Amino acid sequence: MSDSESILDQIAEAPADHYRVLKISDLDGGKLLELSQFMHLSLSEEDMLAVQEIYKDWDREPTDVELEVIAQTWSEHCKHRIFGADIDHEVNGEKEKVKSLFKTYIYDVSQRIFDSKPGFVLSAFHDNAGFIKLDDNLAVCLKAETHNHPSAIEPYAGANTGIGGVVRDILGAGKGAKPIASLDVFCFGAPDTTMDNIKAEDVLHPLGIMRGVVRGVRDYGNRMGIPTVSGAIQFDNSYIYNPLVYCGTAGLIPIKYIDKEVGAGMKVIAVGGRTGRDGLHGATFSSAALDTESHESDQQAVQIGNPIEEKKAADFVLAARDADLIEFITDCGAGGYSSAAGEMLEECGGTINLDNVTLKEPGMVSWEIFISESQERMVLAVKEGSLEELQKLADLYETELIILGDADGSGILKVTHHGETVCQLDCSKLHTAPTRHLNAKWELKTESVDAPAIDKGGEDLKSLLSDFSIVSREPIIREYDHEVQGNTILKPLAGASGDAPQDASVMRVDGSEHLMSMSVSILPEWGKTDPYAMGTACVDECIRQMVASGADPDRLAILDNFCMGNPDAEEELGALVETVKGIAAAAESYGAPFVSGKDSFYNYFETDEGPVSIPVTILISGMGIVEDASHVTGSSLRCRDSLIVVIGSTESELGGSVYARQKGLTNATVPGTDMDAAMGLYRKYYECVKQGLILSAHDVSEGGLAVTLAEAAFSGKAGLEIDLSSLPTGEDVSVAAMLFGESPSRLVVEIALENLEKVAEIFEGQPFAPLGRAAGEHSNLKVTRGDDVLIDEPLDELKSLWKNGLAQYY
Amino acid sequence: MEERPRAVLLKFPGTNCDEETARALEVVGFSTEIVPISALTTEALDGVKLVMLSGGFSYGDYVMSGRLARLVTEQKIDGALKEFRDNGGYLLGICNGFQILTQLGLLPEGSLVENTSGRFQCQWVKMKKQADCPFLTLLPDEFELPMAHAEGRLVTMTAEDAEKYRENGAAAVTYNEDVNGSFEHIAGLQDETGRVFGMMPHPERFLYREDHYDPDWENPAGSDEEKWGSGYYLFRSLYESVTSSN
Repeated sequence: MSDSESILDQIAEAPADHYRVLKISDLDGGKLLELSQFMHLSLSEEDMLAVQEIYKDWDREPTDVELEVIAQTWSEHCKHRIFGADIDHEVNGEKEKVKSLFKTYIYDVSQRIFDSKPGFVLSAFHDNAGFIKLDDNLAVCLKAETHNHPSAIEPYAGANTGIGGVVRDILGAGKGAKPIASLDVFCFGAPDTTMDNIKAEDVLHPLGIMRGVVRGVRDYGNRMGIPTVSGAIQFDNSYIYNPLVYCGTAGLIPIKYIDKEVGAGMKVIAVGGRTGRDGLHGATFSSAALDTESHESDQQAVQIGNPIEEKKAADFVLAARDADLIEFITDCGAGGYSSAAGEMLEECGGTINLDNVTLKEPGMVSWEIFISESQERMVLAVKEGSLEELQKLADLYETELIILGDADGSGILKVTHHGETVCQLDCSKLHTAPTRHLNAKWELKTESVDAPAIDKGGEDLKSLLSDFSIVSREPIIREYDHEVQGNTILKPLAGASGDAPQDASVMRVDGSEHLMSMSVSILPEWGKTDPYAMGTACVDECIRQMVASGADPDRLAILDNFCMGNPDAEEELGALVETVKGIAAAAESYGAPFVSGKDSFYNYFETDEGPVSIPVTILISGMGIVEDASHVTGSSLRCRDSLIVVIGSTESELGGSVYARQKGLTNATVPGTDMDAAMGLYRKYYECVKQGLILSAHDVSEGGLAVTLAEAAFSGKAGLEIDLSSLPTGEDVSVAAMLFGESPSRLVVEIALENLEKVAEIFEGQPFAPLGRAAGEHSNLKVTRGDDVLIDEPLDELKSLWKNGLAQYY
Repeated sequence: MEERPRAVLLKFPGTNCDEETARALEVVGFSTEIVPISALTTEALDGVKLVMLSGGFSYGDYVMSGRLARLVTEQKIDGALKEFRDNGGYLLGICNGFQILTQLGLLPEGSLVENTSGRFQCQWVKMKKQADCPFLTLLPDEFELPMAHAEGRLVTMTAEDAEKYRENGAAAVTYNEDVNGSFEHIAGLQDETGRVFGMMPHPERFLYREDHYDPDWENPAGSDEEKWGSGYYLFRSLYESVTSSN
């Protein structure tokens, strides 16, 4: 019998004890990999060899607990090793080397912006979420996470714990931030997908996934009392096997509670839920691809959510913070206590005693307790003298408090169980995973195509307003409580009848004169052919929506959340690299730093007909400061006889647009973003906002100008008379591109007639033009170009198409 | 300094509208203390004019909404809330608070069950005053508030009971149209004393004019009242009733 067989046999048997030592020093690479796979560690052969080296240096063998801890710490989920990898990249034939995407394009870019805006970003990258300054006393933060793999397998519980997890991120940001708003962004297969288009067994239909995910978010977010104010949904067949579920939450904190530190002599405590076998290997599970078997074998990686448990823990944390009883806090997410304690004790070192952990079920062995991802747990470092007060608060809010151990200044993470040391690791070694080397390649896939002639503009518009990418999300929005906490001023549904679309949301903030704007942008279709353009356009759209809502264009921060398929496939990784370059260029041009981000890999599925990957998908979400409540500006048309002006230039490219998809022009050139010009426009727009010159403003995005006009008019206040003759455009712009093209950086703005001169003066020399007026005498959307009538449709018919498109499926 | 009337807001595990409801009470003139249920004693009600039960999901509301909150309240202070009412105290329940007051038997008999849509519904609703009620005096006959609930359908033992509530003034406020399947479109109930009132929609979410979804909403009370939303007048009515009954 070989060594590895004996090890596998040994592990296959029920453990005789609560932990064991594994002899790995004599195993070759292949056997090490087998061991990794057998234990579900998701560590590569190279990683396992590195582990073997570390233990050779220490002249001993690892315990199972230690191997599990290293696997958690080195997992893609926790360590983001692809974003730190050395990449040989080739784009359109040109070769380049990228040393760490994160360092080059996210961290360094943001650092330069921090330096140019001193005092604005108060914390970024090292904590659970990044903070920006709201006023002299308060800061706000935002964090977004993905919960894709669990949501594919068990949509309700997956989404449930997705929102639960990101809320804990906020509770663990600084010394505890108060969650004040949430966002949810999903990518699903189309609702009308037929079963014969699903080429693998046990894969859930997109409708089942959508319903489960929405209910999961609803039942957790609503019970926690956090308003879900912002979101987006993309439907595309490439998400049938790997749906994407992004959950984000914003938090509020007094600035004095942002900095936190663990010191020797502090007690490490945990509050909230108990520890069970639910959620074993979540971190390593989400660092691998899915297949049909996943639907059976990985059930234990999906946890069960209990929002009330988390609500009690949240009440406790915020009360303890306000009583100044917290020195350090972090959440128990992927990797459970092992990563929470690891993060907390990585420099200081300390001892965790597993005997003190209260369990959901008896008989759990050491590694199970230490890496379990059971939900609703927070880990804190506190002064010993504060324990009594903390216990009183735990009793008051009916949450369980346990003392996990001590921080001791040794630099060593020690775990004891039943009187034995089951893990003893030098924390500094834990965080040094081998650097990966990857190859990437990208070639632009677009070509210039002739735009279709427009002969029935009204029919094209109706077809767009019925498209799944554009139809109203109302049935889903209404399932979320978007007004709890009583501060949602600019709501996801607005207008005179409360059911018209809104771009960014704006929250009033208790205790401040200033407000917070939040928005999201996700354009995966663009990235299929031009990922760089997707990156710049996403940042532009996110920023434009916040600016439109009244935010100061110079006080915005953004998050990058990536999802992709197989990073070992050169072309997929190439698309990722190009996307990262795009968002970095845009962030720098707009002066909007990244303050947090996350990535999710291996979103591909082995179907009966081969692997299917999702397109590289970037979600840009943002938060911004609105100086004064009088600046808050909605997207809905407000008056009759007001003027409609357009800001920004319309270009000829149709690529990426919903119109191009409907017409089968999937390779058409995607529009670029002139970022410096755009930022100039946004600053001028903000000048108008400050002078009270803007009635409403809607960003031009999916569906182009025609859909934007229709959506603004869905407020029901007036019809629209629009003439495109004076529309500011680039060269050779077709009527199709004028109506339905999606070039970035454009806004449709409503102003009072008497303010035209003032506004025009501010926009002097910029692409700006009055296009028409809100009509009191009819309730149609009428768009002409000189004498040509392009569209003349009753708004109530258009609205009914838009409003019912998703309702019939949900 | 003027003596503000004291309000106690009971907080159960899962109560989540406590802070904005306390803010509304403070704005209209109450001095408000949020008391977690674990700390509740009969003595905590001494000198208190209003017991407030705010929205949320007490204990998750996994069994019938408000059921566990009722059991725990009875276990903690038994009949003290009834005594509090009999001694002239006021009780207001919003959303989950309405469900709990109903469970506690402090309001005319009825149950708040799942909406006929089977869904959580977050939307604004137009409502009508149907009877004199100390909680509604300053509101116009018709007003609008946001609602957000999955179990807000008021049902009674028989349809006649609900009709009776309309006739005898127990059904103090109704929806203008059928939003959740409530019998007689009932949105809120008061008891015979007029000092206990429960309602599903959320006045604390429409404290200020700017809370309305339409930026051009006009306050029927006129431009002097520019700042306030309809919810303000509910809490202010309550404040005036409480202070004038001293």
